Amino acid sequence: MKNDGPVKEFIRHLFPRVVLRRNLKIRYTFCLGGLAFTSFLVLLLTGTLLLFHYQPSVDQAFQSILYLESSVPGGWYIRNLHRMASNAFLVLIFLHTLRVILTGAYRKPRELNWVIGFAILCLSLFEGYTGYLLPMDQLALWATQTGMKLLTTVPGGDLLKSFMVPDDIGQPMSLVRFYILHIALIPLTILFLSFLHFYRIRKDKGALPYL
Amino acid sequence: MEESSRERRRLLKRLALFGLGGLLLWKYLVPTDSGKAKKELLRINKADLPHQGALVFRESRVAIVRAGEDLYALSLVCSHLGCTVNVTSKELVCPCHGSVFNRQGEALKGPAVEPLERLELQEQGMSVVILA
Repeated sequence: MKNDGPVKEFIRHLFPRVVLRRNLKIRYTFCLGGLAFTSFLVLLLTGTLLLFHYQPSVDQAFQSILYLESSVPGGWYIRNLHRMASNAFLVLIFLHTLRVILTGAYRKPRELNWVIGFAILCLSLFEGYTGYLLPMDQLALWATQTGMKLLTTVPGGDLLKSFMVPDDIGQPMSLVRFYILHIALIPLTILFLSFLHFYRIRKDKGALPYL
Repeated sequence: MEESSRERRRLLKRLALFGLGGLLLWKYLVPTDSGKAKKELLRINKADLPHQGALVFRESRVAIVRAGEDLYALSLVCSHLGCTVNVTSKELVCPCHGSVFNRQGEALKGPAVEPLERLELQEQGMSVVILA
């Protein structure tokens, strides 16, 4: 076989050697998980680009957004792409979960992968929520306010709230905490769990021993 | 021969794509208006400002207008194609294509549709500074 270099070689090894033709049907999974992960990659890319202009301080946050929208070539496009991809990500991940439930794919031997997937779903919601505050406009402030009120109604919510919002919503410390959660901790955890998720698919061969 | 020309074409295509991508990325990362401090365009004494009406500086292409309590600086660069507009007693008229603006800078008559730009005006002690 022709040697294609390490990148193509690596990609080839990501996929199974043989696949049954009938399992390649789009109706089998609708490729929802793959689409969700693709939108996650789009989010990583556009988010990285946004980091070059966003300033996480109470005074400068909204200013930097206005600047990005008005003076940076393509800035509005990157920002909107980030927002829409985040919506798509959540919709796709929910549909993927629904598909898994309806086809019973959570059953033995895939219980662990179901739990990992559910953790990714929760983290994705949390990621979307932390991103909401960052532009520091009116929507950001009140949406975050509402979310925090909801959080205090669940057991242990007060504890989590005192960690996320040590001062007050829209104050310096809470903004920095939302920021670091949004750009580093949660996405890295999602990425790690996703790779674990994909690894478990191949590991839990079960009904598909050829994988 | 055939193979090498195809490879060259592929390489050129890749180089062009990388170049284009790099250029777009560069434009995004280093915007021309990168929030630098604005330059001082004009500095005049407060005492020289009229109590009512406009003070015109054709050289700097700016007019300082006082309307009642309001004090603002209008750029005299026509929003249509950039000619210097003339200030008449009632309105501002562009000599090039006949656009007419009112004292607030709003376009009254085409071809210009956008209003005249308002420049930043700062009061510093005894003088007024216009930044652009």
